[in-house]
Amino acid sequence: MIGAEVTFDVPIPKVIWGWLVSTNMWAKSIATGSFFLGLYFINKYPEQDRFFRKWLPILGLIFIGITLLVTILDLHHMFRFWKIFVHPHFTSAVTLGAWVVSGFVIILLIAFWSWLTGKRKLFDKVMIPGFILAFFATIYTAGIMGQATAREVWVFPAEMISMLLSALLAGSAAYLVIDAIFNHPLKEEIRKELSYILFGSAGLMAAMFIGELVFAKMHSEFAHKVIQILAFGEVAIFFWIGMFLAFIVPMIFVGIYTQKKDYKYALYGSLSALVGLWFIKHAWLIAPQSLPLS
Amino acid sequence: MRLGFLVDLSRCMGCMACAVACKAENNVPLHSWRLRVKYIDQGEFPDVKRHFVPLRCNHCENAPCERICPVSALHYLPNGIVNVDHDRCIGCASCMMACPYNAIYLDPITNSADKCTYCAHRIEVGLMPACVVACPTHANIFGDLDDPESEISKYLKSHRDVMVRKPELNTHPKHFYVRGSTVALDPLASERPEGFTLFTEVKFLDHIGGH
Repeated sequence: MIGAEVTFDVPIPKVIWGWLVSTNMWAKSIATGSFFLGLYFINKYPEQDRFFRKWLPILGLIFIGITLLVTILDLHHMFRFWKIFVHPHFTSAVTLGAWVVSGFVIILLIAFWSWLTGKRKLFDKVMIPGFILAFFATIYTAGIMGQATAREVWVFPAEMISMLLSALLAGSAAYLVIDAIFNHPLKEEIRKELSYILFGSAGLMAAMFIGELVFAKMHSEFAHKVIQILAFGEVAIFFWIGMFLAFIVPMIFVGIYTQKKDYKYALYGSLSALVGLWFIKHAWLIAPQSLPLS
Repeated sequence: MRLGFLVDLSRCMGCMACAVACKAENNVPLHSWRLRVKYIDQGEFPDVKRHFVPLRCNHCENAPCERICPVSALHYLPNGIVNVDHDRCIGCASCMMACPYNAIYLDPITNSADKCTYCAHRIEVGLMPACVVACPTHANIFGDLDDPESEISKYLKSHRDVMVRKPELNTHPKHFYVRGSTVALDPLASERPEGFTLFTEVKFLDHIGGH
């Protein structure tokens, strides 16, 4: 006897988490990445901290706001979201994420107030708790993916590194775009450092994805199937557009910028990275959901 | 008490009485299933075989759905059943992402997660689950795994070919299959071609809910 096929079954849902969740991860990367890099540059270049003290809370609040909005919209009982605070189940990364992000929003509001009123010390006092909350806000989604036992290739330690790299990529790209829009208030040294961070995080993330393409088939039949769907199947278009826009284009353009000192290449590379990041996140979210589970 | 299920696949004839009884007992809406029976055809004519596999929640001892639920809507009952509190569910679908057996659905009417509860409401008053009562061949065997005299315990002891779905995931399912096969229990061991086949259209739903 050879071959076997399902001849009778009920329709089962394929995609459970869609574009709203991809947007959640994308926006959160920008919010936390701009926080990490903002803290770093405020401390490294105190003479130019006005730029970061202003844009850290603005970028953070806008993009964490988008994150929270799409998260609530994705709930099938969106008006019950408050239950996560009154009936928390702390074994769940979803619960931990909700609490951590709420704390992170408070830190961002303090940073915003500090910038508005000019009370710098206010923000200085919450930098360390802010860093800790931003760190956990970045990686909690990796925890959710790790707890999603049904889905192949979402493995916790690797997802955590990938999320942190996404944050660095998105944060550096966001600051380079803001710098370009407002006629380059940043000094050359900072811009160059942001470009190196963008280049490095894009390179490392690309290496992680290529590593999955090569090695996943050695893990299990399920992982192999997911990678086939990702690279050659129904989400391949998202995946390859993401690979090209998020990693390859920014690395080339940032490389040209550092050689030619032509700012517009840094802007193009950053915009490409931000757009591409959504595509790659979306492909990575959908592919494991395309496997039949039963 | 640890309630468990066992399906003797050599007895199942794919009549769907269990699926119909489950739908009727639990008011399961259209396009949603707590229990379904999958048909798998294997081989090439004239050497062919048909497998029937009833699929329902495995009530895992280490349930990923319970662990990931942010509000404890999915919770253990003292008898080992993984139960759902519809009023507490926020509809995040994390449980659906975590369940490796595709046993949870979002009820399109209540918008809450739902699944097989081993008919917890019937067990509470001393009745058997609806699917067990409806099965004409007694393929569904239900009982207390902690009681060595229960039918399920005796069945498990007397059969060497006991299988569970996806044991490698360490979920410790309390739903067993006897006289099963990889073709019947491993979703990648059989193709799931979309389109019209025997009586119905095998397909995936594109998405759930309104977005």
